[in-house]
Amino acid sequence: MAFDLSMPVLVVDDYNTMIRIIRNLLKQIGFQDIDDAADGSAALAKMREKKYGLVISDWNMEPMTGYELLKEVRSDPSLSKTPFIMVTAESKTENVIAAKKAGVNNYIVKPFNAQTLQSKIEAVFGE
Amino acid sequence: MADNKIFEDLVEFLKQKRDNVTFIDIIRLAEIASQSLQAFFQTFDATVYRELREIAGYIDAMRQEMGALQANEIKNSRIPAAGQELGEIVKATETATNTIMECAETLMAADAGDPAAYKALVDEKMLVIFEACSFQDITGQRIARVVEALQHIEERVARFATAMQAKDLDGFLTDSERERNERKERLMLHGPQEKHEAIAQSEVDSLLKGKSAA
Repeated sequence: MAFDLSMPVLVVDDYNTMIRIIRNLLKQIGFQDIDDAADGSAALAKMREKKYGLVISDWNMEPMTGYELLKEVRSDPSLSKTPFIMVTAESKTENVIAAKKAGVNNYIVKPFNAQTLQSKIEAVFGE
Repeated sequence: MADNKIFEDLVEFLKQKRDNVTFIDIIRLAEIASQSLQAFFQTFDATVYRELREIAGYIDAMRQEMGALQANEIKNSRIPAAGQELGEIVKATETATNTIMECAETLMAADAGDPAAYKALVDEKMLVIFEACSFQDITGQRIARVVEALQHIEERVARFATAMQAKDLDGFLTDSERERNERKERLMLHGPQEKHEAIAQSEVDSLLKGKSAA
């Protein structure tokens, strides 16, 4: 794979179990520098302190959803180019369309498997 | 009819006695008018009485239906018990998940250089995983209890709504309820969908590529 496995990745989800699952899958792919946040606002705070090469975020979180996080990221010139993958149980067409409009790079519906996660990450980096 | 006749007679009488109506005539007129109105009020009283009896009966029936609803039992016992069961389910599934994940992480990080030792480790962890999976049995029973509570509530509410011929009011009970609903709609928070409603990953991929969903 062409993308840099040393790049920091931020996983955003309000369920510790899901963070643990995604973290383990990312480690299997080869990523080592993996941080997490429990909602969009915590993620945004971390993104303003550290440059992440990839954000993988859930949608339905409080107080800030992944959708709101995506819009914040895309509207901030210092963060707007950050690759952003939505991993969510929100599986209605309107969600996908809204995320696409907001500038999401890829969208994975839960439940998903390791192969899907890897292929969608590879697709974001042009593999 | 008799009252009308009395009035007709009276009017005729007054016409005839136009020039020499006495005080007695006026008293008589007042008596007759009063008697006629009494008949009217008696009818009126009976009608009002009947309607008040019906209202009392309705209130009585409503009290009985409210009793049958067992709202206090639902509020103080059924719902808290169901909430507790759900809390236990979350705890149990979390514990089981963590146990299973720990086993997986241990095996993923283990050194497979010594096949015999590695096999022993795998066997050990597989047993732990099987044991952890027993959560499903207990959570299944807890879920059954929650479903039973919901059915109990549903039956009683349905009976009450039918008896009262209840009509739903539009709007929300509290501001926070309205705000949560507005947030849900604004941010498209639908939650997990049924299999037949959820969009497949392939359709998501098509949408992202700009093709219309199948």
